[in-house]
Amino acid sequence: MNPARENILARVQAALRAQAHRPAAPTTAPIFPPVTNPETRFREEFIALKGELIDGAEKLREFLKPFGRIATDDTQLVREVIGDGNAGPRDCDLGVTGCDCLIAQTGSVVVSTTSTGGRALSVLPPTHLVIARRDQIVPDLASAMALLRKRYDSRWPSALSVITGPSRTADIEKILVFGAHGPKRLVVYLGS
Amino acid sequence: MNTATATALRFKRAAAAKATDLQHRAVIQKAIATYDAAVARGKTRFADWQNARSHAAAIKWETINHLDRYLEQFERNVLANGGHVFWAETAEDARQHILALARRHGVQKVVKSKSMTTEEIHLNEALETAGIKTIETDLGEYICQIRGEPPYHIVTPVMHLTKADIAQTFHEKLGTPLTDNAEELTMIARARLRHEFMTADMGITGANFAIADTGMIALTENEGNARLSFSLPRIHVAVVGIEKLIPRLEDLALLWPLLSTSGTGQALTAYSSLIGGPRQPGETDGPQEFHVVLLDNGRTRLLADAEQRDALHCIRCGACLNACPIYKNVGGYTYATTYQGPIGSVITPHLRDAHQWSHLSYASSLCGACTDACPVRIDLHHHLLHNRRNSVQRRFDQPIQRLMFRAWLWAMQSPGRYTVGGKLARLAIRLGWAKSLAQPWTEGRELPEPPEQSFHEWWKQTR
Repeated sequence: MNPARENILARVQAALRAQAHRPAAPTTAPIFPPVTNPETRFREEFIALKGELIDGAEKLREFLKPFGRIATDDTQLVREVIGDGNAGPRDCDLGVTGCDCLIAQTGSVVVSTTSTGGRALSVLPPTHLVIARRDQIVPDLASAMALLRKRYDSRWPSALSVITGPSRTADIEKILVFGAHGPKRLVVYLGS
Repeated sequence: MNTATATALRFKRAAAAKATDLQHRAVIQKAIATYDAAVARGKTRFADWQNARSHAAAIKWETINHLDRYLEQFERNVLANGGHVFWAETAEDARQHILALARRHGVQKVVKSKSMTTEEIHLNEALETAGIKTIETDLGEYICQIRGEPPYHIVTPVMHLTKADIAQTFHEKLGTPLTDNAEELTMIARARLRHEFMTADMGITGANFAIADTGMIALTENEGNARLSFSLPRIHVAVVGIEKLIPRLEDLALLWPLLSTSGTGQALTAYSSLIGGPRQPGETDGPQEFHVVLLDNGRTRLLADAEQRDALHCIRCGACLNACPIYKNVGGYTYATTYQGPIGSVITPHLRDAHQWSHLSYASSLCGACTDACPVRIDLHHHLLHNRRNSVQRRFDQPIQRLMFRAWLWAMQSPGRYTVGGKLARLAIRLGWAKSLAQPWTEGRELPEPPEQSFHEWWKQTR
């Protein structure tokens, strides 16, 4: 048995016998300004992040045309809107997933392993298409957390990601480049 | 007798060289100006940035001051999710554990996503020495790795390099054509690393936060390399300093935007991920095993110093580095530490040898810009003063310094002695003696013209 656990915990407990000065308490004012119109806000934020929005079945068909190899998750919404894929996450041009929710405040998409096709499907393909409904938009990160807690508290997915725009880097001279490792394009289809 | 350590002398030489390197200065100023503008915009998304800082400070205070409880809760929940937890007292313990794990699973290739904690324990060298190919996948870290250099900055590893430098490195080490296009350089790295992700056996990440009430780790990144590192290989290892704990998942509704804003000015980075174990039944992919290495490596020593305990609140956003006039002038490599800038100068004497690294607390003008910038309200510049006091009490200062301060104290305690001292000092400047007496301070500086009379004398005549 490795004694490190007991040693570290004993050192922590000994250290904490000396009291540290407690900082002044924060006020109870909200941390972020309230989000008044979630759908409008989501659209603005998502577009500002260089995300691509699709409205309507016609536009979706047009978008899908150039993609030959499509990988999909097996959520009901994706099956209804796209049907079955013909490729896997490792060899597709387009990965299609559902989502747990969309966050208006930050223009984000929340995906998880149990609800949206595992870990690789939303990060490995060069383009990621998210099939979502308008009523999946929540105002802010705190409400997204509350929704996840309610949905999963008894058993959590092994991984979740809050996706905020396409993959990016600014490591070279702070110049913004898309598609560092994850999808170069992030697309959301907003159905009703 | 105490003398300046070799490390301190090395710092002085490196600082003197960098401070006069105008190209270095131009590159750093440009990067930090871009950062400053983005952060100023980012802060406007908060209702009240100062109150957000207070909230964050309260969350971290609660965690760090009940750390035993939260560590045990975190461990319980990781185990319940099917993960493993290893407690490492030292860097060596952590390295040996990860090496043994890699050997047991026949690991030949490791992909790593950016983690300062793994830099701290020099994990790459240990893996490479054991014959395990280890690849950094964050673009900045990848560039550092192929150049054979450590990260220059905890958030922006190659802040000091230009496109031309990086193109030259890729040309020399990878044989790619020279280009001055940042996108082309990024795509070179993407193509090469894609293959490594597909064939790696183990993914190693750090953790930005460890969440006690769900047993998850949280990772903040922009590129997607962390997501690929914890999605594709069959084993995921997360190296987590014990100070990374937070009580509740909901705390991230503040801490994620706070870290993103202070780190890069983004409202949220592209990917904020939560990992709560290996692949679960019913999931289509993911690693078979999830291992958390909880690292002490000197952190409990810092915890025992109640005065500076809040230095463990640090979320490694890099804001204090970018705010620090010393960092901007001497650059990241001069520190020769894993954690550079003000936070590094505060914690390194605690995490490593207090005497060897005591000089770092003097690498500060005590202007307080770091304290103002800190999103979790660490009292950084006062801690630099506390470290100075501690090193004097432990007699790490030099005898000549002690003698001079004693003389100064003696002179300051009597108006007569002070007046005589002032007269002598003005005379010394006038006769040109002061320049040599105050060496090496006067090497790069001009002494002021001495006034004809002291303020004291002038006041007597004028009032």
